[in-house]
Amino acid sequence: MTKHKPVQIVMIEDDEGHARLIEKNIRRAGISNELVHFTDGTAALDHLVNAPNGPALNGPALVLLDLNLPDMSGTDILARIKADERLHRVPVVVLTTTDDKREIARCYDLGCNVYITKPVNYESFADAIRQLGLFLSVIQLPDATEG
Amino acid sequence: MPQRAQKRVVRLSLAGVISSFVLVLLAFYFVVRGFDANERADALVAHSYDVKDTISDISRYMERAEAARRGYLLDRNPARVETLKDSVAHLAPNIERLKSKTVDNPEQQARIEALHPVIQAQLDDMRQTILLAQRGDMEGAVALFRKQAELQRLGTIRRIAGEFENTENRLLASRGAMEQSALERLQTYLGLVVIALLFTGAATYMVLSRHSRELLASRMTLAGLNEGLEAAVAERTADLRRANEEIQRFAYIVSHDLRSPLVNVMGFTAELARADREISEFVDEVDSAQPGLVPDAVRAAAKEDMPEAIGFIRSSTQKMDRLINAILVLSRQGRRALAPEMLDMDGLLSTVVDTLSTLRDESNATIKIRTPLPALKHDRLAVDQIFSNLLENALKYRRPNVPGRIEVRGHAKGGRAIFEVEDNGRGIEEKDRERIFELFRRSGVQDKRGEGIGLANVRALAYRLGGTIEVRSVFGEGSTFVVNLPLEYVDDGKIGE
Repeated sequence: MTKHKPVQIVMIEDDEGHARLIEKNIRRAGISNELVHFTDGTAALDHLVNAPNGPALNGPALVLLDLNLPDMSGTDILARIKADERLHRVPVVVLTTTDDKREIARCYDLGCNVYITKPVNYESFADAIRQLGLFLSVIQLPDATEG
Repeated sequence: MPQRAQKRVVRLSLAGVISSFVLVLLAFYFVVRGFDANERADALVAHSYDVKDTISDISRYMERAEAARRGYLLDRNPARVETLKDSVAHLAPNIERLKSKTVDNPEQQARIEALHPVIQAQLDDMRQTILLAQRGDMEGAVALFRKQAELQRLGTIRRIAGEFENTENRLLASRGAMEQSALERLQTYLGLVVIALLFTGAATYMVLSRHSRELLASRMTLAGLNEGLEAAVAERTADLRRANEEIQRFAYIVSHDLRSPLVNVMGFTAELARADREISEFVDEVDSAQPGLVPDAVRAAAKEDMPEAIGFIRSSTQKMDRLINAILVLSRQGRRALAPEMLDMDGLLSTVVDTLSTLRDESNATIKIRTPLPALKHDRLAVDQIFSNLLENALKYRRPNVPGRIEVRGHAKGGRAIFEVEDNGRGIEEKDRERIFELFRRSGVQDKRGEGIGLANVRALAYRLGGTIEVRSVFGEGSTFVVNLPLEYVDDGKIGE
């Protein structure tokens, strides 16, 4: 792909089961990138902004974001990412159960790059994640350090 | 104000008006009577003076005649005889007049009777004296005159005339007093009538003013009650709206939160199925490589029990997902902002029928729309969904082997539109006629797909548009759904999100 560091996948998902299913399907799609998982918004933001191997300080990243988190709303995290000049180019994939039209529109307004509704039907869910994996394997991510 | 009190007031005021009228008539009568009495008194006074004049005329003419006689005896001037004759000529008519004027008074008549011979005698004396004087017998005449003078006839006449006059004066006074008292009585009556009139007027006024005060008071009480009622209604409406919004928010949150674990159940069930596939493939491999090695129980678990369990988990979670989706749809429906617009219901219904044409043709049914339907000003989607659901139900729940005949009617009545969707389908048992509008409740034989959402949604929509829905049905013959909507949607301040 590039000589840059491999893209880190930051998954912010409070449901362990969902997280496991997402990871399994991403791996099945042949994506072997590093994947860090956070179950709450505070820890995730800390990682994004402050972690030495986090996207703000180091290397490209992609965020998988659930909207229903225990400590804050996913849209708040999205807004924070897009407001931070070191992070605002990081692609954000919102992956959540909400298929509410207003919610979707709001996420795109805030700068989310892709919005995926978690289908209850597992086959379509797995399919969606695999598609996402394919998508991840072909997209070019901007170099965060140049941002 | 009670009806009886109202009637009493009307009766009282009518009585007041009538008695006032009667009193005014009475007063008028007394006034007329007063004038009459006055006139009579005047006539009596005039009569009395007339009588007095006549009697004094008689006296005067007598005196004049006597003066003329004496003068003739002194200077024998024939003009004196003329004067005498003239005076005498006036006496007779005056006496007649006096008689006729006092015909009702025996006392005066008696006086006239007494007066009459005296006057006659006096006149005879005068005539004799003059005759003697004319013949030249002056001495005889004077002697006769002297003899006659001793008789004092004139004095008698004067006395009687005086008495006559006195009597008339007395009569005048007494009659005047009588008339006066009659007049005073009339005036008293009149005064009483006026007082009664004033009293009646005051009483009527009091009754009416008390009545109008009561009316005013009751109107104010009514206005107060009205305001209170409006406030109470507004409060209740606000409460209901809050409760409704809360339920919808609750439904929304719950359905979302239920979805999350469901994703896991479905997901890991799929993982299980996947693992089971691996195991049963492995069992097949082992079986073909080394038959008899795999115990029957393991084979049954891998190839039958686990797929069966997984199948049930799947179908149940799928059903649960549909129900959750239904709640989501309903709660979203309630939160959707309505956009009222003019709706040509004829056109709207024919579009609805077009979208259902496949189902209609499969069902071998006919749908008849009795145009014109009343036009509405409402949210198009909401109205569309109401009639789509009702018509779809009518097409779905037919009687077997009976061609479906469905009719849509509508008419406007007092600011509301009443639509009827009638079918000849299988009908609804009486016990189910309320239940069918509840969420997830269904009626009759469960031979059609459905979650029990359609009519619950229809009713929620009808309520939201300010309307109602009810059903008439004969079980086994058909059903008629009656939708009652205001002609125009009135935004009650509910905020669509």
